[in-house]
Amino acid sequence: MDIVRDVLDTRVVDRNGREMGRVDGIVVDCQPNQPCRLAAIVIGPAALGDRLHPALGQFVRRLEKRFGLDQNRPAQIEFADVDEIETKIRLRLTISDTAVDAVEKRLRAWVGRLPGAR
Amino acid sequence: MRKLFNLTLGVVTSIGGFVEVGSISTSAQAGAEFGFSLLWAVAVATLFLAALAEMAGRLAAVSKRSMAAAVRERFGIHFQIIPLSAELVIDTLLLTAELGGVAIAIKMLTGIGFQWWILPVGLVAWLVLWLGNFSVIEDGIGLLGMVTLSFVVAAWRLHPTAGQVVGGFVPTVPHHDITRYAFMTVSIIGATVSPYLLNFYSSGAIEEKWTEQDLWINRLTAWFGMGFGSTVAMGCLVTAAIVLGPQHVKVETYEQAAQMFVPVYGRWAVTLFALSLGIGCFGAAVEIALNAGYVLGQSLGWTWGIDKKRRDTSRFVAAFSLVLLLAVAIASIGFDPLRVTLISVALTVVIMPLVVLPFLVLMNDEQYVGRHTSGPIGNGLLATITILGALMAMVVIPLEILGG
Repeated sequence: MDIVRDVLDTRVVDRNGREMGRVDGIVVDCQPNQPCRLAAIVIGPAALGDRLHPALGQFVRRLEKRFGLDQNRPAQIEFADVDEIETKIRLRLTISDTAVDAVEKRLRAWVGRLPGAR
Repeated sequence: MRKLFNLTLGVVTSIGGFVEVGSISTSAQAGAEFGFSLLWAVAVATLFLAALAEMAGRLAAVSKRSMAAAVRERFGIHFQIIPLSAELVIDTLLLTAELGGVAIAIKMLTGIGFQWWILPVGLVAWLVLWLGNFSVIEDGIGLLGMVTLSFVVAAWRLHPTAGQVVGGFVPTVPHHDITRYAFMTVSIIGATVSPYLLNFYSSGAIEEKWTEQDLWINRLTAWFGMGFGSTVAMGCLVTAAIVLGPQHVKVETYEQAAQMFVPVYGRWAVTLFALSLGIGCFGAAVEIALNAGYVLGQSLGWTWGIDKKRRDTSRFVAAFSLVLLLAVAIASIGFDPLRVTLISVALTVVIMPLVVLPFLVLMNDEQYVGRHTSGPIGNGLLATITILGALMAMVVIPLEILGG
């Protein structure tokens, strides 16, 4: 498996097929005299920001903190919880086991109140 | 039968390409200043847009990925961030200009200053997106967009000679204002081949749940749809050439452009022109706002789609609402839609190679398009567009200064 090609930036869905985002970052565990292994995938705009520029990642973290959306974010998902990797990555978890949809939930509280919200 | 109605996706996309605020003004200016001689540029823009749309549709139908999603997955965020940021900036600028275009059209109909109409137009566009689904939006805009055929009827009734029209399809160096001619050429292509159209089209294919079995519909939709828009743009150019050319009118306002309809439609001229401009711009505005939601949702992995429940796609809804709000705010401050269009056209041309180049890779990657990879003609065309795009990108800024 090519981590950069097959994992990074790939769509992630939970075990019920709900969209969880994309792999915005990865955690690699490297021990002496052993090949490195993929320990976790990371989902969240702060992790994406980190990849583009550390200052951008920091800015997103501050923004999330200001709106109280920084709990367990960016979401780090153990590689053991990955079920399969194909054109998308399917997890053994459900979306509610993580904090990836904190922004969606916050916005839903507003959007859901508007007349005509289906 | 419903499949054939999918042709409206092509018509709607082409309205955003050929019959919106920037394209109507560039076609009118080109006709008024250079007669029929820039018809070839419209034809080239049609070839580019139709070929790219067909590929975007094929990519979506086979891989179930929109263009933005495929680019993020295949090239990663470090590459995608450049076309993505550029697309969002262009979307906002174009949306500002389109809202202005609708407002100017209503001003032509009512006489009330165009600034007063920006907010109501923005609100109506948002309501269409909030309450409508994809079929309502594409069929509604597609049907209303038929009024823009008034450009074609006008050109037809002015009886251009076959020799004049055919001559226009042969690129020639003009005897005067070569810089302005080159500027108009780049403007016609830049105003037509907007990056948002390709992502909008591929997203539409996903909203319509196209599969590999629909590839023939995709081909028909892309070429028929762009043919529709192209015919309207050519109608506008020919009408301007016959009516405004001999009067030596240099089109600087839409009121001047509307005069091209007077010999054909008499007292209905301004009404028909305003309706064509207003509906074309409104359709483009709805598409652009929707695309801002699409491109962000697909790039970042949100749940997206105008056919899904709004409360289940809150970030997508917030994205198109915010871009619309931003455009309304910029438009309300006071601006010249033609100037904003000029900037977005320059940006479109500068970014074109980075939009087209990923196609060359994606359309040859079996992981994405299976056995439907591009042949030598498709690849040759993409390579040509990339090279021409890069050449235009190099000359667009000096041309904007000298020719615009």
